[in-house]
Amino acid sequence: MTQEELGILWLAGCTDWDNRTAAALLRAAKSPSRLLEEYEKIAPSVIHSPDARLYKERGARFAALEKLEKELEREGCFAVTVLSDDYPESLRNIASPPLLLYAKGNRALLSERKFCIVGSRVTAQWAASFGKDIAAELSKHFCIVTGLAEGGDLAAVEGALPSGRLISVLPCGLKECYPASHFSYKEKIAKGGLILSEYPLSETVKKYSFHERNRLLAGLSEGVLVLSAGERSGALITANCAAEFGRDVFALPYRPGETRGVGCNELIKKGALLTTSAEDILSFYGFESGKEEAQPALTPQEAKVYEVLKEGGELHSSVIAERAGMRVFEAAAVLSSLEIKGFAVKAGGNRYSIAR
Amino acid sequence: MISNVTSFALAGLEGVPVTVETDVNKGVPGFEMVGLPDAAVKESKERVRSALKNSGLQFPVVKVTVNLAPADLKKEGASFDLAVAVGLLKASEQLVGAELSGIVFLGELSLDGSLRPVRGLLPILISAKARGFTTFVIPAENAGEARFLDGVEVYPLATLSEVVRFLLGEAVTDPVEPIAYVPGAKGEGSSDLKFVRGQPMARRAVEIAVAGGHNLLLVGPPGTGKTMIARCIPTIMPDLSFSEALEITKIHSVAGILGEEGIVTERPFRTPHHTATTVSMCGGGNRVVHPGEISLAHGGVLFLDELPEYKRSTLEALRQPLEDGKITVSRAGGSFTYPARFMLCASMNPCPCGNYGSEKLTCSCSPAEIRNYRRKVSGPLLDRIDIQVEVDAIAYDDLTADEQQESSEEVRERVNMARAIQRNRFEGEGLSTNAEMGERELREFCTLSKECDRILRDTFERLQLSARARARIIKVARTIADLDGSEEIMPRHMLEAVSYRLPEFR
Repeated sequence: MTQEELGILWLAGCTDWDNRTAAALLRAAKSPSRLLEEYEKIAPSVIHSPDARLYKERGARFAALEKLEKELEREGCFAVTVLSDDYPESLRNIASPPLLLYAKGNRALLSERKFCIVGSRVTAQWAASFGKDIAAELSKHFCIVTGLAEGGDLAAVEGALPSGRLISVLPCGLKECYPASHFSYKEKIAKGGLILSEYPLSETVKKYSFHERNRLLAGLSEGVLVLSAGERSGALITANCAAEFGRDVFALPYRPGETRGVGCNELIKKGALLTTSAEDILSFYGFESGKEEAQPALTPQEAKVYEVLKEGGELHSSVIAERAGMRVFEAAAVLSSLEIKGFAVKAGGNRYSIAR
Repeated sequence: MISNVTSFALAGLEGVPVTVETDVNKGVPGFEMVGLPDAAVKESKERVRSALKNSGLQFPVVKVTVNLAPADLKKEGASFDLAVAVGLLKASEQLVGAELSGIVFLGELSLDGSLRPVRGLLPILISAKARGFTTFVIPAENAGEARFLDGVEVYPLATLSEVVRFLLGEAVTDPVEPIAYVPGAKGEGSSDLKFVRGQPMARRAVEIAVAGGHNLLLVGPPGTGKTMIARCIPTIMPDLSFSEALEITKIHSVAGILGEEGIVTERPFRTPHHTATTVSMCGGGNRVVHPGEISLAHGGVLFLDELPEYKRSTLEALRQPLEDGKITVSRAGGSFTYPARFMLCASMNPCPCGNYGSEKLTCSCSPAEIRNYRRKVSGPLLDRIDIQVEVDAIAYDDLTADEQQESSEEVRERVNMARAIQRNRFEGEGLSTNAEMGERELREFCTLSKECDRILRDTFERLQLSARARARIIKVARTIADLDGSEEIMPRHMLEAVSYRLPEFR
């Protein structure tokens, strides 16, 4: 790390100045390394009510910096400053790019092309399974960016994790986990992909940090796919940020009246690209869709039930059985076979829908 | 003069002989009772005194000592009253010429000299018969319980004076006439599967569960008929055999809940409320341990409505009896083993608001709320519930439809067929249903084809199942194959068995 980078690391990691004050300080100091060296001289011209703790002599500032570096090392994390070579280019042109990102995992992912997939926590089973497939398909060309919440985010995580091309941005410090129940996912992503946060390692989650995190999701990516969003959903904030930053917004279409997809339909009305397959997104970016429509290897009975599922919607097993001309328990066996093979998903209440 | 009269005490489901020794001596008039009697036994002195006087007999004005032998066994209850009264009469020479040896006396006295019924008569009769006692004098109200035992002479008498006249040979009483056991008639009650509208999945699940003796969890929105379906379970269970009926009757007799007919002819259906304590569920008590709900449900169904509302500790206490089919309760007064081979049927809502998975209503619960609600039921307990099925919210059209549904009787025929196959299979193994199979039997009777093994392996990974859950899925598949009349477990059987594991309940 260069002296300049260390200056940024100290400013963003060891003080609690907000972005605006930090920027003003940097402007006054001309360079981050000078700020670190001569803080007590520069600060009074910028800050009217200075924080007494920071006026300690130069040695104390370096001690704090060293402590932070040690902690990063201990936790296996690293810091990416706005001056680093691999600081994501796309982040530089958003409203208030973070000076510092904490990260853990595969650093190379930062320089890859990135695409964001998000969805609300109440995502329908079929949409989650769809999102998982799209994430898997897109991860051949993009690094997938998402959060760590249940529903849509987790679907993207599960789809992209096997390829290792996955960045999960947390709304809290990297030592924390929100939701706490997804701790094991966090560990897996840190191992196979990359976890990212702009908050100090031990920072707990705050109400506003979700908004700030969503701005990063959009800022990191070339485009955003919204798998599901109700009337008010965090996924919509991400989509709005994306539109603001000039990113492409994609959304899954929903049946009118389906509460879990009201936000998606609203986005499409406003001009988001209606998306029904990974191909839609890949061809938008000029990629050859490498996915051949592999004819699924199904038994005649499975094919019959699969045809019924293709009619769409979440169907009750007794309806499926009737349309496929089977008895209910026979259909149940076929459905669970389709489920195992990944062609059907269970939606709760004995209802099934197509998985892809 | 000393007299010896035989009576019986209860220890769990066993009767233990108690000799009532009465000694009448000159001295300061008094009445002393020894041999670890509890309060109810000690009080028999007052009941005996009044009963004797009101029956026109003498309570001797001498020093009376009564010993209940063996002295180290704690005796409780009022069932020794009759034996004490008869012993006292004999010792005070009011029963000259009467032969008391070999007769077992049981009964509580009321102050006017009439005999009240006692708890646990049937288990006592069975134990006494095994010990070679064949003649019994019991309260007339207990006669029903004695009717199903042959090879014994049981004299039901209504009052103490009748007992005296009987012993002196002054009156002739006919012993209880044994009658043949007839299983209870089914389909008379209001519970019948033909009244259950729709619910094809739940109907099928209940059928499989009963056919193989599997435990069942019904998950569904409130008011969709979970309880109604559960109440139909006894109507499709096979008839009680005589030996099963006797075993259940013994438990019910000890618990004092036996009806007038004197034998249980229908499979019990127990529905303890969710405020039930662990002791009421498993059995317990201060000195003498009473059977709990799980023992009262032996041979039948234990229905736990709103499963997550039960106390965690109470539910966890069910784990061991669910595996072993019996429960051993240990107290200071001794340790007692009661049978507890029941079919567990539980019901619960899918989420706190109840609308999760509903087609029309919106669920207002967050994923975390739903998970916490379901976590109230522990994984190890869910592991032991072989069949988990969702009950549908019923559409109004279904409620009003006239279409006749399959009745319990039709389903029972299929169940009986599957049970017959199982009986043949387990000939000489000491098992009766698929659910009871152990590791050895699984290996012997449930060989899996490659295809079935693959299905199982996929599910195992997808649902992150435990080894126990895996074994239980195989057992369910075995039952489905039996219902299908198939010797071999086919992939379609395995697939259906797998579909009865809800992914949300892993």
